[in-house]
Amino acid sequence: MSREARFLAARRKVAAIEAGGAPAHGALPFGDPRVDLHLPGGGLPLGRWHEAVGEGLEIETAAVAGAFVAALAAPLARRGAVVWVMRRDDLYAPGLFGLGFPAQRLIQVLARSEVEVLTALEDALGTAGVAAAIGEAEAVDLTQGRRLQLACERHGATGFVIRRRPFGGGSGREAAGSAAATRWKVASAPSQPGPGEPGLGPPRWNIALERCRGGRPGAWIVEKSDGAYPLRVVEGLGDRQLETPKSLRLAG
Amino acid sequence: MRRLFAVDEAAARLGLFVGQKATDAAALVPGLAVADADPAADGAALTALCDWCARFSPAVASDPPDGLFLDITGVAHLWGGEAAMTGDLVARLTANGIPVRAAVAGTAGAAWALARFGEGETLIPPGSERRALARLPVHALRLAPPIAAQIARLGLATIGRLADLPREQLTRRFGPEVVLRLDQALGGASEALAFRRPPTPWLSRLAFAEPISMPADLGRVALDIAIVLCARLEEAGQGARRFELGFHRLDGKIQRLAIGLALPGRDARRVARLFIPLLESVDPGFGIEVVTLAAEGVERLSQGQQCLDETGEIAPEEGVAPLIDRLANRLGQALVWRAEPYPSHAPERAVARRPPMSPPGDDGWDPERPRPLRLFRRPEPIEVMAPVPDDPPIFFRWRGRPHRVRRAEGPERLAPEWWRRPFEDADPAKARDYYRVEDETGMRFWLFRSGLYGAETPTRWWLHGLFG
Repeated sequence: MSREARFLAARRKVAAIEAGGAPAHGALPFGDPRVDLHLPGGGLPLGRWHEAVGEGLEIETAAVAGAFVAALAAPLARRGAVVWVMRRDDLYAPGLFGLGFPAQRLIQVLARSEVEVLTALEDALGTAGVAAAIGEAEAVDLTQGRRLQLACERHGATGFVIRRRPFGGGSGREAAGSAAATRWKVASAPSQPGPGEPGLGPPRWNIALERCRGGRPGAWIVEKSDGAYPLRVVEGLGDRQLETPKSLRLAG
Repeated sequence: MRRLFAVDEAAARLGLFVGQKATDAAALVPGLAVADADPAADGAALTALCDWCARFSPAVASDPPDGLFLDITGVAHLWGGEAAMTGDLVARLTANGIPVRAAVAGTAGAAWALARFGEGETLIPPGSERRALARLPVHALRLAPPIAAQIARLGLATIGRLADLPREQLTRRFGPEVVLRLDQALGGASEALAFRRPPTPWLSRLAFAEPISMPADLGRVALDIAIVLCARLEEAGQGARRFELGFHRLDGKIQRLAIGLALPGRDARRVARLFIPLLESVDPGFGIEVVTLAAEGVERLSQGQQCLDETGEIAPEEGVAPLIDRLANRLGQALVWRAEPYPSHAPERAVARRPPMSPPGDDGWDPERPRPLRLFRRPEPIEVMAPVPDDPPIFFRWRGRPHRVRRAEGPERLAPEWWRRPFEDADPAKARDYYRVEDETGMRFWLFRSGLYGAETPTRWWLHGLFG
C-alpha cells in the first residue's frame, strides 16, 4: 500500500476510536438535551437492540413498557415494516393507534414459547425491509443477546425487548449480564391534564436509563406528546406547559 | 344360504359365477378354496390402493367396489406418454398380485366402459369416445340394472344404437339418468368426481432406483424436485401460493408436507428452505421410492427485476414476504397477522385480523375514543365504590389490591349491537358504561359497569384493559 493509502487507513481507524462507540446506523433523538446527552450519538442508538422492564404488576401485564416502546418505535414505523412478537395476544390495536403508532401496518406474531419468541425476533431483525422488531420475552441471556445484536447489524434494524412474564409464575432465572445497548426501567406516573380540562392528561411515565453502552444512566419523568418528538420531558410535581399570556379584556 | 360374492379368473373358466349358491359351486368344483367375504376390508383396501396411486397423479377417486379413477391431465408427460404411464401402472399392480384392467379416455364414463367391457383398444384419443363406445353393451353406461334390462329388452343392445335415438324420446321413456350417463360418457356433460386431491397439471415427480431414508437425502431431494417444478412455472410465467410435497413409501403410505407463501412465488431455494424444518416429521419407514411436488393456487407472476446494487430499494417481495412465509409456516398461518379496523362498537370485535401482506387501508380507529393498550380476553371482576348513578368510581379493589382513583373520565356507553340478535333479545340493561380511571401511582385502567342501577339485575363492575 502506498504511504497515502496507509495514512488514510490510519486516519479512519483513529476516527473510529474517537467516535467512542457512536452508533453506526444513526440515533433517534428524544428532542430534549436532558436525555439526549446521556445517550451515545445524541439519541437512542439505532441498529442495536434495547430492553424495557417494569416491576410489580407490570412484569405480568407490561402495559407501560409496551406503551413506552410503541412511542419510541413510532418514528421507525415510517421507515419500514415493524414486527411485534408476543406470547399472549392481548395487544389491542386501537390502543396502539391512540399512542401514535400506525397499528394497521404492524405485523403481529403470536409465538408459543420463549424460544420461539427469540427465534422469531432474531429472524425479523435480520430481514431486509424491517425497520424495527419488538419482542416480549422473559429473559435474554448473553448468548441470545449477542445473536440479536448480530441480527440487528445485518440490515440496521432496531430491536426492542419487553421483559414480561405474561402468564405469571415465579421469577425464573435473572440474566447475569445484558447485551442490550440500553436498558430502561419504566413505571407509570400520575398524569396532569391541561389547564381547565377535566379527566386524565396525556400518559406520563417514570423512566430510568439503567444501563447504556457509551452513555450515562439517568432518570426522568416523560409525557406522551403530539409534537415533533414522541416524548416530552417534564419536571416533577406541577409541571404544566406555560400558556402564552392573553391580553386583558376590558369589562363593559 | 351362502352365495358366491366374487370369483377369480380360474374359477370363472370352470363355470362359476357371482350369485351362485355356495353348495352348488362346491359340488361343481371339488377342492374349491372359499373365503368369507369382507366388504369393509375390501373398501379399506381400495382406499389404500387409492392412496398408493397418488404417486401417479394426485387426483385419484375411488369407485367402489373395485375401481379407481385417475385424472392424468397434464401428468402423462412425466412417463413419456399415456401409454407408457398406463403400462407402468398395470405392471406395478400386477407385480403386486392385483389383477387389473386399465383404460385411458377423455371422459370418466368412457374410461369406465372401456376398462370393464372394452376389448382391444384401451387408450383412445380425446374426441373419439363415440366411435370407441359404439359396440359396447348398454351395461357399460353405469345405469341402474332395471333400466339397463329394460333397454336391452327393447332390442337396443349397444351404446351406439342408444346414442342414435333422439334425446327427448330417451328421457321420456327411461328417465333423465340415461341421457346424463350418455353425455358423461361421450363428453357432453361433465362429471364431478370426489378426488382425494384436486387435479393439477403442476406436478413434478422423482422416482429413485434405490429407496432413500436419510434426512439429508430428503432435504436434497426436496430441493431437486423444487428446481424442476419451479423451472416449469417460470417458463409459463406463473407462480404458486401453495406447494405440497409427497413422500411415497415402499409400503404404499404417503407422507405429505404443505407450505404456503404470502405472495405467489417460484423461487426453488425459498420453497425448499421452507420445507426443511418440516422434514423432521417425515417417517420414511422402509424407504421412500417416489417423491412428488404439486403446486396449487397458480397464478400469473410478472418477471421481477433483481436488484443490481446493494443500496437499491428493497421490494417487499425480497425481504418481508419471505420473513412472513417463514414465520407462518413454522408457527401457523393464523398466528401471523395484521390488525385492521372492523366497524363494531364492541371493543372485542373492533379489530379484524388480516394476512400481513394484504395492503393496509388508510383509515384507522377513532382517535376521539381512547382505548387501552392491553385488552383482557375476559374482563376481570372488581369491587368498586362509586357514587350512584353515573359518577366514576372513587375506589376499587382488583386482585386483592386496593386502588384509590385520582382522576377519571367517562362514562362512555357501549350498547350491545341490537341488529345482531333477534329484536326481543335487545336489552338496554346490557349496555356497558366504560370509565377511564387513573389511580394514585399513575396506573390507568379501563373499567366498565354492566347493568343499570335500579334494574332487577344487580350492577357489576369489571376491568377490561390497561392503558400505558
